[in-house]
Amino acid sequence: MTTPPEPLIVCDRVGHRYRSALGRETAALSGVSLTIGADEFVCLLGPSGCGKTTLLNLIAGFLAPSEGEIRVGGVVVGGPSPERGVVFQDYSLFPWLTARGNVAFGPRMAGRPARERRRLAEECLALVGLEGAGDRYPFELSGGMKQRVAIAHALATEPALLLMDEPFAALDAMTRGALQAQILAIRAREARTILFVTHNIAEAIALGTRILVMSPNPGRIAEDIPVDLPYPRRRTAPAFNALYERLTQAIGLSVAD
Amino acid sequence: MPRFLRPFDHPLALGLLGVLAFFGGWEGGSRAGLVNPHIIPAPSTVFASAWAMLADGELPGHLAASLWRAAAGFTAGAALGILLGVAMARLPRLHGVLNPLVQMFRAIPSLAFVPLAIFWFGIGEASKIFLIAWGVFFPVWVNSFIGVRDVNPLFARAAASLGAGGWRLLLHVVLPAALPFIVAGLRVSLSVALVILVAAELAGAMRGVGYLIQLSQLVFRVDQMFVGLLALGVMGFTADALFDLGVRRLMPWYGAERKTGR
Repeated sequence: MTTPPEPLIVCDRVGHRYRSALGRETAALSGVSLTIGADEFVCLLGPSGCGKTTLLNLIAGFLAPSEGEIRVGGVVVGGPSPERGVVFQDYSLFPWLTARGNVAFGPRMAGRPARERRRLAEECLALVGLEGAGDRYPFELSGGMKQRVAIAHALATEPALLLMDEPFAALDAMTRGALQAQILAIRAREARTILFVTHNIAEAIALGTRILVMSPNPGRIAEDIPVDLPYPRRRTAPAFNALYERLTQAIGLSVAD
Repeated sequence: MPRFLRPFDHPLALGLLGVLAFFGGWEGGSRAGLVNPHIIPAPSTVFASAWAMLADGELPGHLAASLWRAAAGFTAGAALGILLGVAMARLPRLHGVLNPLVQMFRAIPSLAFVPLAIFWFGIGEASKIFLIAWGVFFPVWVNSFIGVRDVNPLFARAAASLGAGGWRLLLHVVLPAALPFIVAGLRVSLSVALVILVAAELAGAMRGVGYLIQLSQLVFRVDQMFVGLLALGVMGFTADALFDLGVRRLMPWYGAERKTGR
């Protein structure tokens, strides 16, 4: 008898508590159970303090759950791994390396030969539209370019799963729109599973095949909403607006805000 | 600013202006009899003496002796400071054991060790190199320690999710991230090394720029004392400029990281 393959990510009654400086215990997450299949683009949406970044950090392996268990690809998460690429909100690029050096860092740690690293780095830079910028240092790049290098940096280890923690939150609206289109194009070409944390409702609707609405005290998943609108998703479409309104209510904000 | 002065509105030109005004005023004051040339000789006298001492090989000999001591002491002290600073930042137990000791020794001004070092090592090279290394160690240690301890945790997370751990994390991420701090520590100790060098040479030596100054005092050659001071100034200035150049070459990202530079 064969069992069907397990979904890519399985969270089984996951909780995370932390102790504040005054010794008070707070539940950042409580009883989160969910499965995410390969090829899904899941957006974690919610106000600040709802535990969405905590959940991402648990899946990345930066934090250990206080209760329950997380499995990725059938293996219990015990720490960070190049199998799970992470793109942070703040630029996590290494300032002492050029854009190419940054992107080649993962393959270098994996022991890939220099020639292959260079080829991979060029490929990943091309994927985010930065073919000519390999020799530039991070301080020579704009905010949008830095985040594109950060995406290339996470893609270069060819992870099965891409974890993105509000990656475009610090960018202006135009750059943000361009990068959203780019991440959809990368997903269409590379067919990767993406878990994307955002507090921006329109961003979640523009990107996700599924939106998990989270709510605080303690952090938990309040609603699980599949999105089957065709890409590209126009913000003026009635279905977009209907979903926007539904999510606004789910988060608990009044539509008038 | 008047139009004819605009071409001089450049840091280099302004700096040169300051230097010329200083030495010009000094020379003028001396020639006009405003200062006693036996107490403060004119710059022309000092430069003439310096030239003569350069030509007969006396000054180069003293300079070479001092430079060798400074370089040897600096290298030893800086290497130990970086090593122990990094190790203590990465190993909390080692930090627990050594920190009270290091803090205690750090509180003692290094010049207070001059008599003891001479008692231990004599007035030869060993006592001077020991003293310079001792003085250089502490600023380098403090900066290396803080630099490594305060590495942005985001770098460590990013590196871990890219497969770096253990020694490779230290080598490829922690050390480069701490480098600006370590470099700042090295730069401070460059001038510390010079201070201790002179103190050690004044306390007893057979060669060196400090010795030259003291010997000149004994034989009332005030001009040669000034030559010694000039040599020390040039040495410190050159060392700092070379250091700066090296940092710019090796770390092109360094200055630009902090836009608030000069």
